[in-house]
Amino acid sequence: MKRSDYRRTVGLLLAAGLSMSAAACGSDDDTKPQAQNSASGAAQVNITVACQPAKSAPKERQAWDDDVAAFQQAHPGVTVKSTDQQPCFDPKTFGPKMAGGQMETVFVVPVTNYADVIGKGQGLDITQYTGEIKNWNDLRQDVRDLVTKDGKVYGVPNVHYSVGLVYNRALFTKAGLDPNTPPKTWDEVREAAKKIAALGGGVIGYGEYSGGNTGGWHFNQALYGRGGDMVSADGKTAAFNSPEGKAVLQFLKDLRWVDKSTGAKLFNAWEPLMQAMGSGKVGMMLGAPDVVTDVVNKFKGASTDYGITGFPEAKASLSGGEAFFVNPKATPEQVKAGLAWVDFRFNTVDKGRFDFARGKALGNPVGVPDNDVYGASPTGKAIQDGRKASATLPVENYQPYVDASATIPPKMEPPHAQELYAILDVAMSAVLSREDADVDQLLADAETKANAMLASKG
Amino acid sequence: MSIATAGTARRPRPPSPLRRALRRNLTAYGFMVGALFCFVLFSWYPIVQEFILGFQKTDLVNEPEWVGLENFRTAFADPAFGPAWLNTLTFTVLALVLGYGLPFAVAILLNELRHCRAYLRFVVYLPVMLPPAVAVLLFRWFYDPDVGLFNQILGFFSLPGLNWIYSTDTALLCLVLVSTWMNMGSATLIYLAALQNISPDLYEAAELDGAGVWKRIRHITIPQTRLILLLMLMLQIVATMQVFIEPYLLTGGGPENATATVAFLMFQQAFTYSNYGAGGALGMMLMVVLLAFAAVQLRLTREEKS
Amino acid sequence: MSNATLQRPAAPSSAGRRARRRPPRRIEVQFRTIISPHQLNSRWGRRVYWTVLVATVVTFTVVFLLPMYWMITGALKSAEEFAQVPPTLFPEKLNFGKFLEAWELFDIGTLLRNTVVYAGGGWLITMAVDVTAAYALSKLRPALGNVILGAMLATLMIPPMVVLIPTYLAIHDVPIFGWDLLNNPWGLWLPAAANGFNIFLLKRFFDSIPRELLEAAQIDGGGPFRILWSVVLPVSRPILGVTSIFTIVTSFKDFIWPLLVMSDSEKMTLSVGLAQTAGAVSQDQVMGGLVIASIPTIIVFFIFQRHIMAGLTAGSLKG
Repeated sequence: MKRSDYRRTVGLLLAAGLSMSAAACGSDDDTKPQAQNSASGAAQVNITVACQPAKSAPKERQAWDDDVAAFQQAHPGVTVKSTDQQPCFDPKTFGPKMAGGQMETVFVVPVTNYADVIGKGQGLDITQYTGEIKNWNDLRQDVRDLVTKDGKVYGVPNVHYSVGLVYNRALFTKAGLDPNTPPKTWDEVREAAKKIAALGGGVIGYGEYSGGNTGGWHFNQALYGRGGDMVSADGKTAAFNSPEGKAVLQFLKDLRWVDKSTGAKLFNAWEPLMQAMGSGKVGMMLGAPDVVTDVVNKFKGASTDYGITGFPEAKASLSGGEAFFVNPKATPEQVKAGLAWVDFRFNTVDKGRFDFARGKALGNPVGVPDNDVYGASPTGKAIQDGRKASATLPVENYQPYVDASATIPPKMEPPHAQELYAILDVAMSAVLSREDADVDQLLADAETKANAMLASKG
Repeated sequence: MSIATAGTARRPRPPSPLRRALRRNLTAYGFMVGALFCFVLFSWYPIVQEFILGFQKTDLVNEPEWVGLENFRTAFADPAFGPAWLNTLTFTVLALVLGYGLPFAVAILLNELRHCRAYLRFVVYLPVMLPPAVAVLLFRWFYDPDVGLFNQILGFFSLPGLNWIYSTDTALLCLVLVSTWMNMGSATLIYLAALQNISPDLYEAAELDGAGVWKRIRHITIPQTRLILLLMLMLQIVATMQVFIEPYLLTGGGPENATATVAFLMFQQAFTYSNYGAGGALGMMLMVVLLAFAAVQLRLTREEKS
Repeated sequence: MSNATLQRPAAPSSAGRRARRRPPRRIEVQFRTIISPHQLNSRWGRRVYWTVLVATVVTFTVVFLLPMYWMITGALKSAEEFAQVPPTLFPEKLNFGKFLEAWELFDIGTLLRNTVVYAGGGWLITMAVDVTAAYALSKLRPALGNVILGAMLATLMIPPMVVLIPTYLAIHDVPIFGWDLLNNPWGLWLPAAANGFNIFLLKRFFDSIPRELLEAAQIDGGGPFRILWSVVLPVSRPILGVTSIFTIVTSFKDFIWPLLVMSDSEKMTLSVGLAQTAGAVSQDQVMGGLVIASIPTIIVFFIFQRHIMAGLTAGSLKG
């Protein structure tokens, strides 16, 4: 007894001595300033940050919390509070939160809302702070241009992608289709959808949005893919009442009413379709690789079931993505701390979200090429290498998408995108809910409304 | 304060009436401070503000500026503006049949029954106690065309399934249905109480005059409950003007704007597009319509009473 | 709006209870209604009556109870059984784990605690504010009292939804004080306390308290607060009960206001939290959440059923 006590004491003393000497010999910038800062309390900065993973994804959430802890360790005096609203950009609460000044110090804005947020003065001009983002210059120039207006930078691009066709490989197999040769044309999509829907049991071949502005958004995607345009070159009149626009609606109408391969349920917001996709009931949908990530992470889809291929017959692809914006009410200290956090968690190779090794250890799906924000820059290459090295998913499932999207030119959203999408929701929901929907009439109506809307905006 | 007043009460020579009145008033307003605070700031002020907001541009960051009728123009230019008013009107008419007429009929029926009264009253009121969000989310599942309860029941009788909230034809009706289901209990019980208050002698006399059942309802029941019927009519209209949670949680206003209501649009303008002015303009229009209804109702009630 | 016609509590009728008697199978009639007792007890009358009764009971059960039965059994079924077509009428195996799952997924612990705190605090503040105001208006009768009462009652004509945006703006930046009450329970409590209906009910009840009672207390040297506390409140228990129940239930049921005011996911109420998360979890898990969310108000209903119904029904008589 005594002996072991003695031993323990010696051990403790030794350990204490070692750590003390380590502290004494350690470089100053490591431990000392930390102690000073927290003691004086002069540099206390509180920031709130968006996008903490939900409680329903405990492992992801833990990784986030670990990052927060590590970040606070590295940035003494900074206290990070996370919000976990799902999705981190929720159009239903974005407005009230924004208006009420409840927005996080750094918050996510999807590419569809950049213009609006910048125009309303709801995002801070961060031009002078871009140096906080170490890899700023490696971000794709065209993506940086999206958050730049009149030479001022308003956001840190976080995600960028182009559209593809996400499909459920398991359903393809079940329906007797080869998951390794996904459809390349719209006709093939239609055929495949028909076969998948024939499986029954609530399975649908092709899922499409029709409400909450997502319908109009996907109309835009499909329209661009077919080579159409939303508005005229000067942005003053609608241009979607075209053969391409008709083809988009007619295609959906045929699937819904001739083939009955889209199901009777309307997907009037983002979640319902993702939910259906995650439960393995949807054969195909238009979407970017982030759909695969979300379906697997948030909607419990089986990670190996999903593949993604090139946008069928695509002539152009609608740019998608999101950026971090900064609350205009933030103090300079908060801005710096907030951007440091963004840099730490979202823009460092092998760290934070790019810590693919950790993702693999946690059993997350790794390998989805869901972010193209760094393009082919050195940082981008390093990220891709890291992703491949730790991939847990069959990367070859996504290769068709990667190959195809390299050749499809990206295309910007039209002006007043949300208003246009709201107008086109009507046409999308019409062809999917009414058998006698008249495509020509719907587009003509939408065109009239869109022209009136564009005229009123000047 | 109570001690001070108590002191004066005990004093042998009462203070002058003026001082007493002053004291009484001070005490009274002291008691009302809380209520006045709440009413002034969160009830009266917003009502006045409603009429100002519609003419201003408000973004909650800069000072509001006067913009004349621009907000109204924005509200009118919204492609869903026309449909929303039409939907609200249709909803009101449907709700008048289902949410207003049905409870009255049910109440008459319940009043005639001599058994299971407690049970029936309990059951009809139970949905009223559910939080509306629960009731609406529950019905969202029932309306599912594939696995929902309603199509299962139709299927059981070998009837073809409907698309419920996913069809332009039925979506609005679905909203009225769930709204009636979760609200009709209170109206039913209120009618029931009014019916129980009708003097049996009146029916007795009518019967002696040879009036049949329908005549008794028409000439006794309805006139005797007219005041409450008028009141409930007003409440029903007020309630339908506010329809929000049903489209918000069930349909998002679709398909084809078939379920966009004015209240829903107002919310959208304000909180989705950050267009507080346009939302305020819609709110003002709603308020004017409601006040018109209230005026008519007040008039009718007054005529009825005199 | 459900409590809008509530005016004065009264004992519920006990007519239904004594109506049954066996041997002659005669339908007892306590008070006469449209159909006369004679008609009712004729041979045909009785047949029609029993048919209608059975039909009514069955219809009501199906219409009002079946949805709730379906919700509860849905939550008890396994995910596979839940999605089965055609559905099973009874769960094959009772799966109470679903509730635990829902509890975790929706974070119901936090939501429920929030909701209880908001409802409880709101109740205390509403009662404190409305009772004192009603008492002052009824018994102290200040100058302009009627004008103030009228202005308070006038707000009943204007439903909260219509003034949603200006009220939201007032909460975001409280006039004069400049507070921002978003994501602050006071943002729920203060507007709730401005309840003209409660004040109206309470004042009417206080009006009916005989003057002599108060005067006696006054002679004993009681100040207005003492009188309110130890004379008025004890005799007003019924009306206090009714207004309390409706205040609490209303705050439990509220949706749009907490949706706007308590937007922080840590501060959401049960209704709002469920609605926000419902899209991201599967339908059978949603059912588990719905069942849990309905329990509090249903319990309140079971306990205070008589008060609620009495409050609701007796109120209508004065129109």
